[in-house]
Amino acid sequence: MHQSKWAWMVHPIIVFIFSIVALSLSLILYIYWYVEVSAGLKGVIERAKLDPGQILAPQTWVVILVLSILVGIILAGIFIIFVYNLKTLRLYRLQRNFINNFTHELKTPVTSLKLYLETFKKYELSREDQLKYINYMIHDADRQADTINRMLNLAKIESKTMKGKFVNRDLVAVSRQFYEKNQHVFNGCEVFFHNPSSRTLECRIDLSLFEMLLMNLLTNAFKYNESKVPRMDITFKPKGRKLHICFEDNGIGLRRPEIKKIFRKFYQIGNSENMTAKGSGLGLYLVESIVRLHKGKVTAANRESNSGSVFTVILPMNAPATA
Amino acid sequence: MDPNEKKRILVVEDEAHIAEGLKLNLVLKGYDVKIAADGIDGLQSWKEWQPDLIVLDIMLPGIDGLTMLRNIRLEDDHVPILILSAKGDSDDKVKGFSYGVDDYLAKPFNLEEFLLRVERLLLRALRYGAGGDSGRGALSDRELIYTFGGNRIDFGTLSAYGPRGEIRLTEQEIKLLKLFVTNRGKPISRNKLLEIGWGYPRGMKTRTIDNFMVRFRKYFEADPHKPIFFKSLRSVGYVFDHDTGETKAAGK
Repeated sequence: MHQSKWAWMVHPIIVFIFSIVALSLSLILYIYWYVEVSAGLKGVIERAKLDPGQILAPQTWVVILVLSILVGIILAGIFIIFVYNLKTLRLYRLQRNFINNFTHELKTPVTSLKLYLETFKKYELSREDQLKYINYMIHDADRQADTINRMLNLAKIESKTMKGKFVNRDLVAVSRQFYEKNQHVFNGCEVFFHNPSSRTLECRIDLSLFEMLLMNLLTNAFKYNESKVPRMDITFKPKGRKLHICFEDNGIGLRRPEIKKIFRKFYQIGNSENMTAKGSGLGLYLVESIVRLHKGKVTAANRESNSGSVFTVILPMNAPATA
Repeated sequence: MDPNEKKRILVVEDEAHIAEGLKLNLVLKGYDVKIAADGIDGLQSWKEWQPDLIVLDIMLPGIDGLTMLRNIRLEDDHVPILILSAKGDSDDKVKGFSYGVDDYLAKPFNLEEFLLRVERLLLRALRYGAGGDSGRGALSDRELIYTFGGNRIDFGTLSAYGPRGEIRLTEQEIKLLKLFVTNRGKPISRNKLLEIGWGYPRGMKTRTIDNFMVRFRKYFEADPHKPIFFKSLRSVGYVFDHDTGETKAAGK
């Protein structure tokens, strides 16, 4: 308790304010003293009957000007360093969070794999059991591969060298196919597709990236969900040259202050200290990066009537093919 | 405890594959195993099923493993608990042991080692429990009677003595008081108090805690409006503290 009494003294904001006040004060004092000294000097010059204009007038103001500029530069420098420092600190905290969670993400499949392999070594299981556990292991290996792929993809997307293989596709069909292909991942959850315009909605997309986006949004919706039957409604709404895709879930929703932060890299809802937060903190960041790569936008909001959140992905649409 | 009876082991693990793998091995070793997929489920199973050993993961949805551990230790100091966690730094281990875990194994672990540790823990518990104590409610054997200021709390008989005379305490009050006594001088947030004291992360209002604090102050403070033992910290929660000179933890 006694330590924290003085802890605020070393808080970066306090240090920053103090140094700025000190610097400004010193500038004022410099000028004050300089004026005083030159006034004294003036008296001496007058008494010595020298020509005052020749020695003093220009010099005084040049000195004050130069001093002010220098101090101004120093102040700006401190300010910039301060801002960068804050950013670094935040990133450092987030990164620690990330390492914590990623450790879990990487270790879990390995633990499971090792556990089953050691069990196989120790016991002679029935063929039926063997197959069941081998399937578990394949699943775990896939999960590990996914995690690694996500990291590598992120690095690629971030390095901006990624050009992507863009093709024209009907997004309603692509989304449906994706869901059918990955149904086993969303066991016990309901997904509905709505296309009120019943038109073919073509966009220029990179197929693997778009699937990654779908995977992230869907798993998030079901991970942060306490409803009996987690449900997601995907609605495709063409608006002018843009396609709005609404991902509406019946999950726990978002807290207002968090809506702005969720797309940040490494950001995670929940607490890493008490370890209720899970995952890498990269999912939505990845979603945003992918959408940006498609020259689109993504927004998040809460559902108005019931609990749950709505993620809206806005992508530029191809002009409808002239029939 | 009957040594021939099948030992019950509760596995609190949210990763289905790991949980099933553990169950498979423990069942093959002849134990009776139950899986709980989150902290809330885990606490419920612990209360209803009364397992002989708990295998606990730390990163759990709902209530995390460490909070669950503290909750259990408020009521039962004897049931052996083994933490099985991806977090294997010595800092994490120290934290776990300080909250009262008996053993700690980092993931990924060696199966044989895990099974042997489980066996050892159960054997030791058997010997320890043979003393006749059922284990329940025996958190502080050394501190069954706790005195501070002019107050006395008897955790064994659920009674206390304060400035206004003799007090009968409820089980919930005893739990919260234990939590405060074991965390003397450390501020505890209202949410943490709810989670550890009741084991429900959602649905309960932190106002409940405030009501309990009003009662404690009435029991133990000379002037309930100017508390010196049960202080509230603005925007943090509550802290229990008193001068060391006045402490005396009476022996058994």
